Amino acid sequence: MQKKNDWRAWLYLAPVIILLAVFIFYPLISTIAIAFTKDYNYTAQSGSGFTFDNFATIFETTYVDDGSGNLTAVYSDVVKYAIPNTLIIVFVTVPVSIILALLISVGLNSIKFLKKIFQTIFFMPYVTNAIAVGMVFSVIFMGGSNGDGLWNTIFQTTGYTWVDQGAPASRAMLALCVYSVWHALPFKILIFLSGLQNIDKQYYDAAMIDSAGKMKIFSSITVPLLSPQILYIMITSFIGSFKEYTSVVGLFGRAGTLSGYNNMYTIVYYIYDTISLRQVQYGCAAAVMLFVVILIFTAIQFAVSSKRVYY
Amino acid sequence: MEIRLKNLTKVFPGNPKKGIKDTIAVNNLDITIPDGKLIGLLGPSGCGKSTTLYLIAGLQVPTSGEIWFGDEEVTRLSPDKRGIGLVFQNYALYPHMTIYKNVAFPLTNLRVEENRVYKVDVPAKIDSQGNVVAPAHKAGDIVLDVDGNPLKIKRKLKPEEIDSIVRKTAKLVQIEDYLLRKPNQLSGGQQQRVAIARALAKSPRVLLLDEPLSNLDARLRLQTREEIRRLQQRTGVTTIFVTHDQEEAMSISDEIVVMKLGVEQQRAHPQEIYNNPINKFVANFLGTPPINFFNGNVKENKLYINEECVLDLGEKKLADQEVTVGIRPEGFEVDPKGAMHVECQNIETLGRDISIVAKHPCCERPMVKIIIDADTKVQAGIVTLRLKPHKVFLFNTKTEERIW
Amino acid sequence: MNIFKKIGSSFEKLDKKLSTQPTNVKASYENVETDNLKLVIREGTISIDKMEKIQKVMKVISLIIIYGFLALMAIVVILPFYWMIITSLKTNDEIRATTQTFWPMVVMWSNYANALNKTVFDFPTYLINTLIVGIISTLGTLITTIFAAFAFARLNFKGKDILFMILLATMMIPGEMMVITNYITVANFGWLNDGSLSQLWPSVDGQWFSGARLGAYLAMIVPFWVSVLYIYLLRQNFKQIPNELYLASKVDGKSDWNFLWKVMVPLSSPTLISIFILKLMGAWNSYVWPNLVADDPDFRLITNGLRNAFSVDGNVQYGYQMAATVVVTVPLLLLFIFFRKYIMKGVGRAGIKG
Repeated sequence: MQKKNDWRAWLYLAPVIILLAVFIFYPLISTIAIAFTKDYNYTAQSGSGFTFDNFATIFETTYVDDGSGNLTAVYSDVVKYAIPNTLIIVFVTVPVSIILALLISVGLNSIKFLKKIFQTIFFMPYVTNAIAVGMVFSVIFMGGSNGDGLWNTIFQTTGYTWVDQGAPASRAMLALCVYSVWHALPFKILIFLSGLQNIDKQYYDAAMIDSAGKMKIFSSITVPLLSPQILYIMITSFIGSFKEYTSVVGLFGRAGTLSGYNNMYTIVYYIYDTISLRQVQYGCAAAVMLFVVILIFTAIQFAVSSKRVYY
Repeated sequence: MEIRLKNLTKVFPGNPKKGIKDTIAVNNLDITIPDGKLIGLLGPSGCGKSTTLYLIAGLQVPTSGEIWFGDEEVTRLSPDKRGIGLVFQNYALYPHMTIYKNVAFPLTNLRVEENRVYKVDVPAKIDSQGNVVAPAHKAGDIVLDVDGNPLKIKRKLKPEEIDSIVRKTAKLVQIEDYLLRKPNQLSGGQQQRVAIARALAKSPRVLLLDEPLSNLDARLRLQTREEIRRLQQRTGVTTIFVTHDQEEAMSISDEIVVMKLGVEQQRAHPQEIYNNPINKFVANFLGTPPINFFNGNVKENKLYINEECVLDLGEKKLADQEVTVGIRPEGFEVDPKGAMHVECQNIETLGRDISIVAKHPCCERPMVKIIIDADTKVQAGIVTLRLKPHKVFLFNTKTEERIW
Repeated sequence: MNIFKKIGSSFEKLDKKLSTQPTNVKASYENVETDNLKLVIREGTISIDKMEKIQKVMKVISLIIIYGFLALMAIVVILPFYWMIITSLKTNDEIRATTQTFWPMVVMWSNYANALNKTVFDFPTYLINTLIVGIISTLGTLITTIFAAFAFARLNFKGKDILFMILLATMMIPGEMMVITNYITVANFGWLNDGSLSQLWPSVDGQWFSGARLGAYLAMIVPFWVSVLYIYLLRQNFKQIPNELYLASKVDGKSDWNFLWKVMVPLSSPTLISIFILKLMGAWNSYVWPNLVADDPDFRLITNGLRNAFSVDGNVQYGYQMAATVVVTVPLLLLFIFFRKYIMKGVGRAGIKG
């Protein structure tokens, strides 16, 4: 019979608990600790006290004398590139991909013929590799001295450089956003579609009998009844896009459009860089900040949504 | 609004690959439903009554035939343009809206048609010679078109108007206390009243109810069917409801349409259907306890069951033939001089009546059910019975049609 | 704090505007004259015939719009794949030509041969590494997941619920919080390139096995042997197995272990297959962690190898790049075609957990 307190369960759980302890709980504490450690020494793995300095250093603005006594501010790469880039990615790609995915899902849900084929096609980007397809997109966005790629040809923007050497940050960002949205669609479509299919057809019948037009049905019935999925997608998308990294690597191969020039930096790219630079205290600080920002955003979303999401 | 179904047929195509045949859900139905009446569509499951309802609603399109609302043919019109109210079997209340918003929803999709009025005083138009080209108008005057008819405009309902209608309808079905609740906070009976309110709020041309009482418990059923009746009489809206419970249909309908396998069997006032069933199916379907059927035959205008001459057919003459005899439970009288003998198995006193369960060799069912007056004295064993002629129906053994 | 209040109140205002209920009016509107309102449907004065015609036309138009939109989106989605394949078959000059072609003028199968050259893109090495890491990692995950899911689904023990809550909470933590420390941990274990393992078994030319290789593999496999998400999924699955089966096996005198492997696992095989495939795909696609801990060209995983094989400066050999990309992507697409059901169901269920 089933015991009330089966100690054997702990045996079954032992591997999981050990692995989690070593690779999740311990790192969690350690990262926070390192973030606040003064003068952390990588090789010695120790430091000398508690401080907020690591956080400050990330944002540090150094002042450079340009030779004539004028001091110009040189912002850290994090402030100059990582934060703005990440914010642009988050606030551009998430709404665009959600709206597109919603429209596609609603369209898919309303057809019968060819539905399976479309579903398969729309899911394809998900099984692929962010790096591999990133490289494909770098070919698509070829331009400048490398010759015009597909994008330039279709949009008649001959000679523009998007991801190649020397491309201006704005264009590079556009390419990155296009790629991100492309890659983010399938998962959203999958979730939205399954949510739509769970809405009882009778509600649509009742709405038709209540003389509601197609637009009204969409806004008053479909969207509210889909709101749990929409909220879920919003939260996971925001979190995911804050952590954007592999798409930059795939598309650009490095953190910017010119060697040594980090104009495509994202926050997570910075974190990984600090490992190779052996300056992990800054990486840890950045990671802690990232975590906090994500928490705040998620909390805001929950608060705003509680009134409007119907389960 | 009078509703006319003309040769209405609905066939659901089968799947030849899977060997599923076409299903004829509604077969050549031709009915006129008079304005302002409460009509019941009655029949066993699969008889096409719900399909008929959905055809009237517009949620299904007929394979052939016509549907007329008054003098408009609406056969292929989509449901949102038909102006009907439908109460679903599962109510289909919008789960994310409050009751108030549920009932108000149809009103937000409708428009008010009214006469266009001048908002301000308009002076007369005078041409260069001093003649009046167009007369003056005061604010509030109705605008006329070239033929002199009032010009109509359509506008949305104002929030106050919506509020008023919602509250009035809520009062009608007694849900005023729940207006701010959500559907999942209400009981089944309350949800149903909300569904009715939502259907009635828009002053529909016809009110349709799909098995309204089947999801309610027994106690609530009696209460609710009276409410439906009351509402229908109060609002005067043509109402059609679908049910498989003959007692329900009998108790509140102005007319019943009995259906079997998509075909109308009989259509009449409930009492008429009970007293004069058109065929064996109808006779069997209505009446509790159900009618008893016997094998019998007619010889020289007399009815014989089990070699016993139980009834003289009288004026209406019938040829000699084998017949199926239907006798209502209340169609027996205990009479020592009676011709019919049954072997009594069980006697139950039900207060007002006595119920006898008996055996008879020619009865189609294993037992004969007999209801007699409680004052009658009856003993176990063989009971002699006399038949009341107006409770006896004779049916053709093959076609099952009523011949006497 | 004020900003939150402002956001909240502006939503309130929007809500009020959109709702039909007058929220600041008293309930005495029953006296508003509504009995004489003539309610009509929007196009109430058009003839029925016209309405039906309009209906038909609208239906056709909407179908055209929907299919058109979907087709356009589908093309946008497929275009990169198509471009990848045809670019891999073009000459470098054609790729860089000012007018792009939608079909290679000369089909350059040689691009593949050149790309798979060991000096450019060492496919066999990367493939073997990825398969080893992938399969061991997946098998390990399956075992830990089965054990843990069994414990949570079937056994009762003190602290079960709290532990499960903690487990779920870890899913919320971004991986970046753990990466740095895990790197240090792995280094401390000696699994990295100049760590203790590589000194234990120094690399010998021509010998496949070495301490460094073992270390690299361990570093890539072990930290991810546990997946809380899959534990959650499998637990759901296990819970759906009826209790009667368990009791029946008890009556037959079988142990829990027997029940787990002879009954629960077979019954959950669709989910297990999904997990297997998804984890394998994960190993195939993984870049970040292997890039950190296994950057020796001999130990690289396939995605890692892909990115590092081609530089972005100088004369970029796009044809070779794309050929290599095709080689990396095709297995995934094949997996997708054959196991589509498992993949989509697995992702879907993993997604619904929210």
